[in-house]
Amino acid sequence: MKYYDKIMKGRIARSIFRTGLPTSNYRKSLVILNNLFLHIHPVKVKKSTLKFTSTFYLGALSFGLFIILVVTGIYLMFYYHPSVPLAYRDMKDLEFAVSNGKLLRNLHRWSAHAMVLIVFLHMLRVFFHRAFRPPKEFNWVIGVFLFVSTLLLSYTGYLLPWDQLAYWAVSVGTNMMKATPIIGDDIRFLLLGGNVIGENALLRFYVLHCVILPLVITMLIGVHFWRIRKDGGLSSGSKQVADGKRDMILGKNLGVSTEEVLNDRDAEK
Amino acid sequence: MDNNKKISIEVSDDLRDTPIRVAYVKSHSSIAVERQRDEEVMTFPHLIIREALLFQLLLIVMVIWSLFIDAPLEGIANPEFSPNPSKAPWYFLGLQELLHFFPPIVAGVLLPALVIIALIVIPYFSINWDRSSMWEGNIRKKFFRLSICVVLFNIPFVIYKAAPLYVCSIIIYSFMILPLVFRGKNGFMRRISRLGLADWIMSWFLLVTTVLILIGVFFRGPEWRWIWPWIDGIY
Amino acid sequence: MENRNAQKDDSVYGRRQFFVAMGSGALALATTGGLVLTGNFLRPNVLFEPPAKFLVGKPNQYPLDSVVYLAKPKILVIREKEGYFYALSTVCTHLGCIVNWKAQEEIIACPCHGSRFNKLGEVTGGPAPKPLPHFAMNLTVDGYLEVDKNVLVDLSDVLKI
Repeated sequence: MKYYDKIMKGRIARSIFRTGLPTSNYRKSLVILNNLFLHIHPVKVKKSTLKFTSTFYLGALSFGLFIILVVTGIYLMFYYHPSVPLAYRDMKDLEFAVSNGKLLRNLHRWSAHAMVLIVFLHMLRVFFHRAFRPPKEFNWVIGVFLFVSTLLLSYTGYLLPWDQLAYWAVSVGTNMMKATPIIGDDIRFLLLGGNVIGENALLRFYVLHCVILPLVITMLIGVHFWRIRKDGGLSSGSKQVADGKRDMILGKNLGVSTEEVLNDRDAEK
Repeated sequence: MDNNKKISIEVSDDLRDTPIRVAYVKSHSSIAVERQRDEEVMTFPHLIIREALLFQLLLIVMVIWSLFIDAPLEGIANPEFSPNPSKAPWYFLGLQELLHFFPPIVAGVLLPALVIIALIVIPYFSINWDRSSMWEGNIRKKFFRLSICVVLFNIPFVIYKAAPLYVCSIIIYSFMILPLVFRGKNGFMRRISRLGLADWIMSWFLLVTTVLILIGVFFRGPEWRWIWPWIDGIY
Repeated sequence: MENRNAQKDDSVYGRRQFFVAMGSGALALATTGGLVLTGNFLRPNVLFEPPAKFLVGKPNQYPLDSVVYLAKPKILVIREKEGYFYALSTVCTHLGCIVNWKAQEEIIACPCHGSRFNKLGEVTGGPAPKPLPHFAMNLTVDGYLEVDKNVLVDLSDVLKI
């Protein structure tokens, strides 16, 4: 503990984490404010929203599954060739030869299934809690697009193993598109890069699954989170009152401490 | 007022010191007044620690699941032979079940598009819908209107012999009119009589989705025939 | 002064409008061009797909009253008792699964969504919206049967030998 303290208070650690140890409420707020990855959160949250039954943590779970999917997906890409005889061979390779390949594929597959379910449940939760009411209407719409993107990601990923299951599920799905009046045939042709599901289709699904749709869903997630804050997750900036001493960095925050305010008020009385 | 007075933030935990808005809200108008300021806690550590724990728990569950159950992998894709039955992933089996009843343009294009559009317009439809419950006001008129709507809505399903759809409608409809039959006897009745129309529609959607997916996963065998999973097994 | 100003205002406004119109027009044109270019790029010109016209052997390879499934070109070659030939697509008109010939029931059944067809390819049950298409069949000069999947023919249009 002594060494930990020494390191955390040392010059190098302070250059990385300017906040220092989160010993006071003020420093705890800086943990959030000064961190790129955490500052999507407000500094304070309503206690009621932390209760399990108020969200069931379904949104957080969806995001967690997304992270797992991105990481395991990148792992799998190291061994996968999106071409017709190789794709299936790589599946067998992952399953029987590559160390831990089977575990990673299983993780990716099951997380994808779980994500579809959890995202759907998240949508139901939001609906039955009426959490889409103004000003959050548009965030609900983004949520619907996120749900659709999740389904599309799952669907495009379904073809990649190039087994019978994959081939016929995608075959049926793309023939459904053909039923769209006027543009149906064209959409299918563009998506498959041909009239039949072959090399071109596999490559196109691969690009959609690994590049285009992840980019789209990442952006949508970003907007979704940002809108939570902007639509009332954070009440107002002036609520961020720190305890105790003035601070150079908190100077932005009007530079007044709680004690001073309370003293002033008492003096007026 | 003293000009030298410092700028100060209003901080108070005492409700007597902070202004409280009072509003008269007529029935059938929207409420935009917060009842009370919610108690707040620091995001770090209260929320962050929960998120971290949740993610760890999720990872543990997923890893254990993946260690014990293998992802399916069938033989290499063969365009010359469709497996019998060939099923889509479970979340599309509801759609595949619909395809069994309706022409592809309806089941594959029209219905999914309608569902997505319906989901998108939900928040714009009416702000006030949960203020009034189903059975308020002119009950007789409402009952007839509802019944006619339900019948009209289900005619296409009956024509196409899509039994799961109209059976679900009948179930939801009976729950809707249940409070009319047994008026306010117990807590459950009072509770469902308070549900709004939107809740009922969503419940119908949820029930239909679940039923169709369950049928697709467990009750469909070769040539998409009806099977009993405990006799014929799961395909 | 006032007069000049008014003139200037008018001319400036006119010019500004002109440039705005030009700018938005150019932008719209460039966007359309980009979209068309993308669309063209994504539409392959050469497809490495199985040929639509192919030989399926000599007539005497098919016994009378037989139904033969040829997997690669996805067709059924049917020779009736009377000796005439016709070729049926085995791609289900519903959603593209491969249908199977069930010899004992004398039906063609789709495994995916339960469509059923008779030996002529007509729908007898299930969700299929159209009958199975018949492909043109003819005899080449050196005595081989040839199927052309590009040409769809009528039910009555059979190859008599």
